[in-house]
Amino acid sequence: MPNAALEEAFAPFVGQDFGPPEIARDPVNEAMIRQWCDAMGDANPIHWDAEAAAKTHHGGIVAPPTMLQAWILPGVRLADPDRPPSDKQEELHALFNQHGYTGVVATDCEFEFERYLRVGDRVTAKATIESISEEKATALGIGYFVVTRTRFENQDGELVGSMVFRVLKFKPSQPPQQASSGDAAPAKPQRIPAPRGHDNGWWWEALDRGELMIQKCSQCGTLRHPPRPMCHACRSVDWEEQPSAGTGSVHSYVIMHHPPVPGYDFPVAVALVDLDEGTRIVANVVDCPFEDIHIGMKVECSIEELGGVKLPVFRATS
Amino acid sequence: MSITLKDQAAIVGIGQTEFSKNSGRSDLQLACEAVSAAIDDAGIEPSDVDGMTTFSMDLTDDIEVARAVGIGSLTFQSQIPHGGGAALGVLHQAAMAVATGAAKYVVCYRDLNGRSGQRYSEGVSGDLITSDSIHWSWYIPSGLMTPTSWVALVTQRYMHDTGTTSADLAQVAVSTRKHAVTNPNAIFYERPITLEDHQGSRMIVDPLRLYDCCLETDGACACIVTTPERARDLAQKPALIRGVAQGSGADQESMTSFYRDDITALPELGIVANQIYAQSGLTPDDIDAAILYDAFTSIVLFQLEAYGFCKRGEAKDFVKNGNIEVGGRLPVNTHGGQLSEAYIHGMNGVNEGVRLIRGTSVNQPEKSDHVLVTAGVGVPSSAMILGKMD
Amino acid sequence: MSQSRRLGDVKVGDALPDLDVELTAAIIVGGAIASRDFTPVHHDRSAANAAGMSDVFMNILTTNGYLSRFVTDWAGPDAALAKVAIRLGTPNTPGDTMQLRGEVTAVDPEGGTVDIAVAAKNSWGDHATGTVTVALPK
Ligand SMILES: [Zn+2]
Repeated sequence: MPNAALEEAFAPFVGQDFGPPEIARDPVNEAMIRQWCDAMGDANPIHWDAEAAAKTHHGGIVAPPTMLQAWILPGVRLADPDRPPSDKQEELHALFNQHGYTGVVATDCEFEFERYLRVGDRVTAKATIESISEEKATALGIGYFVVTRTRFENQDGELVGSMVFRVLKFKPSQPPQQASSGDAAPAKPQRIPAPRGHDNGWWWEALDRGELMIQKCSQCGTLRHPPRPMCHACRSVDWEEQPSAGTGSVHSYVIMHHPPVPGYDFPVAVALVDLDEGTRIVANVVDCPFEDIHIGMKVECSIEELGGVKLPVFRATS
Repeated sequence: MSITLKDQAAIVGIGQTEFSKNSGRSDLQLACEAVSAAIDDAGIEPSDVDGMTTFSMDLTDDIEVARAVGIGSLTFQSQIPHGGGAALGVLHQAAMAVATGAAKYVVCYRDLNGRSGQRYSEGVSGDLITSDSIHWSWYIPSGLMTPTSWVALVTQRYMHDTGTTSADLAQVAVSTRKHAVTNPNAIFYERPITLEDHQGSRMIVDPLRLYDCCLETDGACACIVTTPERARDLAQKPALIRGVAQGSGADQESMTSFYRDDITALPELGIVANQIYAQSGLTPDDIDAAILYDAFTSIVLFQLEAYGFCKRGEAKDFVKNGNIEVGGRLPVNTHGGQLSEAYIHGMNGVNEGVRLIRGTSVNQPEKSDHVLVTAGVGVPSSAMILGKMD
Repeated sequence: MSQSRRLGDVKVGDALPDLDVELTAAIIVGGAIASRDFTPVHHDRSAANAAGMSDVFMNILTTNGYLSRFVTDWAGPDAALAKVAIRLGTPNTPGDTMQLRGEVTAVDPEGGTVDIAVAAKNSWGDHATGTVTVALPK
């Protein structure tokens, strides 16, 4: 259900300027350019070597074009968490916050450049709230995409470039994480590990030791995978582990493209492998160009950590 | 004709495990042992069992028990909600099933590590290891974690075995979309696609592209069932259920029956098909239109073969030349299907099946005396044949 | 870098030299300050933690700065950027590596421009993907 009260309240914002045009505090200058180039490791001489720059079609020192917005950002003032909304965009975000759409994430950014700024130029920026989408369901939560456009002009009123930003203002689908202590460990997303119960834990523990196992009925010798507690052939609940040689062939396979899942680094190949012992197993195929994978391809297993989880992986048999 | 349950069913075997404070084994194993003991007590074989019923609160899926115990095909499955209230509910299900012929031997079971596992006295905890969570864990760590991926793995093998191509799958997408284009209720109303659009759409899980996948939708569908006698007196032209059945195949997993000799065979569909044709006395030749569950294009091909409209591997030819469009041999998914009308887990297809019998579909074929309506593919499945009342 | 690439030397499918950036707090904070973006999550770890992140993360202007540098490293000093359009993804945090990759996807001999598909990956996935259009001397 779209939020009618919110939609009514934000409608007047569409098409509005953030406020009066913003004029850069400082003209384009070599010091700020050099600081930018240092930070980005940018060795392009057009930004700092007057002589070399003069020999290019730029004709002299010019500012890095993607630095455009830096000329008008307010600096340290941005760090004050309690400052009141100072322009229409911030008012709009405050409105979303009031309605519970507290999350914000930038999704797209587009710069177009008409001319390069030269030392001494002074930038003026005029920003507009261009559009607000209808309500969308996203992985982060229900929200609205807000598109803003900023036009940058020089002191002569000539268009220097423009910047379009698309942000999602959303209602977080999960409560925000507790602020952790300052020495929080980096939380890299990992693959989802298997829960370990009576019937399957031993198989993953063997993998942890670097061994690929197949469950074998102690009574009749039938092999089975995935593991389960009773032999379907003789109904015995006695079983043992048999190491697999790890060799086999591809029975079928897919290439996972979408949707991306943190920790998995798609695209990845997943195959259903016929092990030479006669059971089948699903696992990744690695180090093989996707177009070379085929049904019947001979593969061999090794046990490796992928996304923080010890897993069997298969490579083409050399 | 009406059926009473009087003298229609009997309990012929019982089995149980020991009772303890810590069984030391899984819920699944407890279920297997009890079911196995009951089978022995009855003096039957696991393969004689063709129906299973349990509590919806049970952590163990019926098909996991079936695989482990060596029970083969199923024609009846049910689960009863609301904790202990289900105890005689499962007996009731079993009695109905055997009385009506839906199954011959129904196992009722319930397993519980109620002391060492989840103790109901401790309230609800979110961290249960169920047979379901273990089932998915054989696939999720490798990244095979979406319905598209599970179907794609079977589709890849099917394409390899039958010479079916992505362009053949495109034919299903394009034909189905044609029906949605004239259906104002369809999400893709008035938005046709071409084979080129399909081939240019992005890869979701190779070999399945975006236009091989249904659209996820918000919505709901419902229908009312009553006896034929009552139906005669009501406002609408009734759609008579000529046959309806469930089916679970041997070695069934939910979406991932990857351990059968032929992973593309999908025997559960054949089990359903045989029952509904036998019940109705009809054959595939009698079916005028079909609502085939189409979460993905490829599964439409699987069903055309399983429900007997063409031979194994020939579905790619069957879907060509408008053959599954209105005017063709078998109009399929005249509402636009789940690929193009809406994805309501097959229930929008039930309603379209009824419209076809009433003659009120926006894409009404000339003849629609018998309509096949099917359910999900790759899982224990079900289907029905609708017909007209005399 | 003194040599500029010419339009005639470029063809569709050409790959740009890989650029791997070992991310440090200095790079992330330095980029934020150079772009005058003092939003706390880019320089203050406790603010980043409060936002659910393990550490400070790179601001968007720095990402754009690196992408444009990645392209002009290849294109040379006579090149002029015309457009940088990116979709934003996973955050860049200290200790990770940003891998910049690019491939020429279009050459417009009349307009004198080249389109380059760019991708910045980190260990979480795609940090940024998109297209950079650059004018090259003929
Ligand atoms: Zn055995």
